[in-house]
Amino acid sequence: MSLFAFLTTQSLNALSQAALLFFLGVGLTLIFGIMRIVNFAHGTLYMLGAFVGYSVARSTGSFWPALLLAPLAVGVVGVLFELVILRRLYRREASAFLMVTFGLALVLGEIVRLTWGPEALQVEPPQAFAGIVFLAGEPFPTYRLFLVAAGIIIAVAIWQLLDRTRLGLIIRAASQNPEMVSALGIDVNLVRSMVFGIGCSLAGIGGVLAAPLVTASVGMAARMIIDAFVIVIIGGMGSFLGSLIAALLIAFTQVFGEYYLPDFALAFMYLLMLLVLVIRPGGLLGKEA
Amino acid sequence: MARRPKYLRAWYGIFPAAMLALAPFALPLYVMTLLTEALILGLFAMSLDLMVGYTRLFSFGHAAAFGFGAYASGWLLLHTQLPMLCAVPLAALLAGIVAIGVAWVCTQATGVSFSMLTLAFAQLLYAVAFKWTSVTGGSDGLAGIPRRGGPFGFDAFSSRTGFYYFVLIALAAALVFCWALVRSPFGAVLRGIRENEAKTLALGYNTRLYKIAVVALAYGLGGLAGALYAPFAGFANTELVFWLFSGQVLIMVIVGGSGTLIGPILGAAFFLVVEHQLSNYTEAWALGFGLIFIAFVIFAPEGIWGLLTERLGRAGRSVR
Amino acid sequence: MTKFRGITRRTVTRSAIAGIALAAAPRWPRPAVAADVIKIGMPLALTGPLGSVGQQLKRGGELWAKTQNASGGLIGRQIQLLIEDTGGNPADAVRKAQEMVERDGCNIFTGITLSSEALAVVPKLEEWKAIFISSDNGDGRLTAESFVPNFFRSNISAPMGARAVSLFLRESEWQNVYAIGMDYAWGRNSVQVFESEMKRANKNFIGSVFSPIGTKDFSTYITKIRQSGAEAVYITMAGDDYNAFLAQAAQYRLPEKVQLLSEVVDLTVPRAVGDAALGLISSMRYCFRLDNPKNKEFVALWQKEYDTVPDNNEGEQWQALKMLAAGIEKAGSTETGSLRSALETTAIDDIKGHVGMRKCDHQAVQNGYMVKLAKGEGFSYPVPQIIATYPGEKTTPACNKMTFED
Repeated sequence: MSLFAFLTTQSLNALSQAALLFFLGVGLTLIFGIMRIVNFAHGTLYMLGAFVGYSVARSTGSFWPALLLAPLAVGVVGVLFELVILRRLYRREASAFLMVTFGLALVLGEIVRLTWGPEALQVEPPQAFAGIVFLAGEPFPTYRLFLVAAGIIIAVAIWQLLDRTRLGLIIRAASQNPEMVSALGIDVNLVRSMVFGIGCSLAGIGGVLAAPLVTASVGMAARMIIDAFVIVIIGGMGSFLGSLIAALLIAFTQVFGEYYLPDFALAFMYLLMLLVLVIRPGGLLGKEA
Repeated sequence: MARRPKYLRAWYGIFPAAMLALAPFALPLYVMTLLTEALILGLFAMSLDLMVGYTRLFSFGHAAAFGFGAYASGWLLLHTQLPMLCAVPLAALLAGIVAIGVAWVCTQATGVSFSMLTLAFAQLLYAVAFKWTSVTGGSDGLAGIPRRGGPFGFDAFSSRTGFYYFVLIALAAALVFCWALVRSPFGAVLRGIRENEAKTLALGYNTRLYKIAVVALAYGLGGLAGALYAPFAGFANTELVFWLFSGQVLIMVIVGGSGTLIGPILGAAFFLVVEHQLSNYTEAWALGFGLIFIAFVIFAPEGIWGLLTERLGRAGRSVR
Repeated sequence: MTKFRGITRRTVTRSAIAGIALAAAPRWPRPAVAADVIKIGMPLALTGPLGSVGQQLKRGGELWAKTQNASGGLIGRQIQLLIEDTGGNPADAVRKAQEMVERDGCNIFTGITLSSEALAVVPKLEEWKAIFISSDNGDGRLTAESFVPNFFRSNISAPMGARAVSLFLRESEWQNVYAIGMDYAWGRNSVQVFESEMKRANKNFIGSVFSPIGTKDFSTYITKIRQSGAEAVYITMAGDDYNAFLAQAAQYRLPEKVQLLSEVVDLTVPRAVGDAALGLISSMRYCFRLDNPKNKEFVALWQKEYDTVPDNNEGEQWQALKMLAAGIEKAGSTETGSLRSALETTAIDDIKGHVGMRKCDHQAVQNGYMVKLAKGEGFSYPVPQIIATYPGEKTTPACNKMTFED
């Protein structure tokens, strides 16, 4: 493989990995940034998205309905949880959220296992993106290119939502000063439900998009949750742009690190996290110190 | 509700202590094993309470203390001729000393960032434990850890019942130590940091030093729990350093009732016993387990200790 | 008194305390089915990442017990399986096994799922006076340096699997071989055995790489394999990592350039990755296609009960229990000492043909199989075809060893 081919392939590998990491982290950082909740159930919601995606894809024979319906379903689950449980806890300490989302992770994880069984299930990529392209003579899966594109689209969409729309303005305001927003006649509870729902939907989308690469499995939640936390920590809890940068940073470090120093592959992410935290305790673009 | 007389309050402490001391005579051996493990985890949870309950320092990496202690005492018992009575305290001391460095870095940050730094250290320890096969046994861990008796041929602690008393004494000593600590001026400063760090700082206290001290103590006691675990189970493995374990001990503290020292011990016992019993009956035990936590948060925010003290009246409350 | 929808704090407190007391109550010893029952302890990983393996072992055990009990039990006694979930945690495995010994009076174990659980339990067998017959643990050390007399292995071990692959490679035209394994004891040991085998076979072992457990994106590793110039790659992976690797390797069209070989494969793998598993060549510990009367009978029985074909570990559990039964019948009792002596020289002719326990290290000597995954009539996923069979004497390492000499 020529150097050019190698660099091209590896960079694209890193970009597609960054896309996956971004999908994983963005929902978590949004929920924390707006609601100050550390959502321990994030990995489980991600997993739920993958399994719902499996069922929809299976029954309709196509990936696209799954991509649409799975995040919707996970978002609904999130909103229900917020309405029934989380809403009681807003006056309480952070530790309450920790425990209750931990409980949700256990309950939801078990429901997934009981519903779909303990075996890993296949989710096929969409027909349109199931092939390869040749880049500098080396085959590269088109699905990964699709992931990069999807990552860009979703990132831009969220950015536009938060920055340009009235809803985004309300969301950002509510995170900074809920009393004032409430005094302006806006239903802060509704905003919270929506944000939690959106955050969960993002987790669900992540799960569906990742499923063709890693299968829908009951171990997914545990495998993903720590990565999600690392992304959010490095990027800065609550910083949407931070999670994007963190995803890129981690992915490139991981991809090139694995290639040259495979023995340390386990430690890269955590060393990076430590480094960033020591230099900037709030994460790269974090708000807290 | 009128305050119960003081002599009745003493009963609340003596009665459970007596029950624990006499347990080996009443309970079958396999229950004693569960009880011993519950006490070890209780010590572990109590050590975290010093940080969480009294100083509001949430550690997401406390398993590092336990795991370090377990590997240290396991290694000492396997590769040196040190008896348990020396290896266990030594391992705990090592854990505390190493924790000073960790604490120094972590206390540079506050709030969530502090928690994440503790997590980072724990994950790094996990990576080291996993890869440094020559010392830690890698993914297999250390096995066949003996309960070596001594010095001077003293091996009363080496049997199953004897080991139970060893753990019980260690827990009691640690509890007394912590209890004295939180009632001392040092403890008062910790509570000051918990309630309002800026104010405590303004009063002239070097809050960072206090935080480093409490973290080192907490990790040292957590390390003691781990150091006891290694000869108890006979093995030490990477699961003991895993982030899931850190999350579980945090839950134990909260379920038990943070800031009460005894609460987390009860929380740990509760966690262990419920998980154990539920998994005996059904595969779907995680479902019930999760529901119990959610129920606790909603119905019993003060935790188990809160439930008990409410039942017994204000007399049972320990220093908050 | 704060009320919450009519439920007072006091009510909650009381029920919580009652619940805690109930939870803390030591479980009564399991009621025996009849006065004199043979209890077989199975502390399985029924949940957790390897839950699907534990479930397979459970099904295998349950069908055997049901069938055996229906035909009068064993030495006139009914069989009772003690099945509990360890979640894949070695500490839980030891605790539950110990309870089965002390609370339920059990002295026979099988079905311990993870090698790490087995390694934690094995040192305790002597203290418990219990026999453990493995159906699934592949770690070579269990019959080598970690060997204890109360341990028996009925299944094919990891070194035996690696050996089958290397024997197959000797006969093949592929010269340049690479290896990838999961970065922990099993992965490293297996690749190590394989490497020494390749050198002895005068093949070119180009190199190896290890991926951390929990790797989700294998793109770099696939690049490495591709760059190595290898014609075949030996894979020691399992579970989610293995599925992810195969799915992604297929997406990169790696199988078109490099032949994928693996040490072990379950039917859960092609079910999880579909066509990505086509063309995979692997050693398998049990295959439903084995052509002998006993196996045909077994497969038919399995299909009737579970409406599918038996998988790798299901067959292995069946064999382990058949071995155990033969040993119990030979000894005429389940007493540990006599059972141990009987098992040491037990041999059966069952679903995998002739299998004989070896006295020196308690490894069951049996044929090794190589399979290739291909489309099969009546299956929606690729299924194994047996492409090579090797006699046990060639695939089993020397006593207490994990490596081979020839």
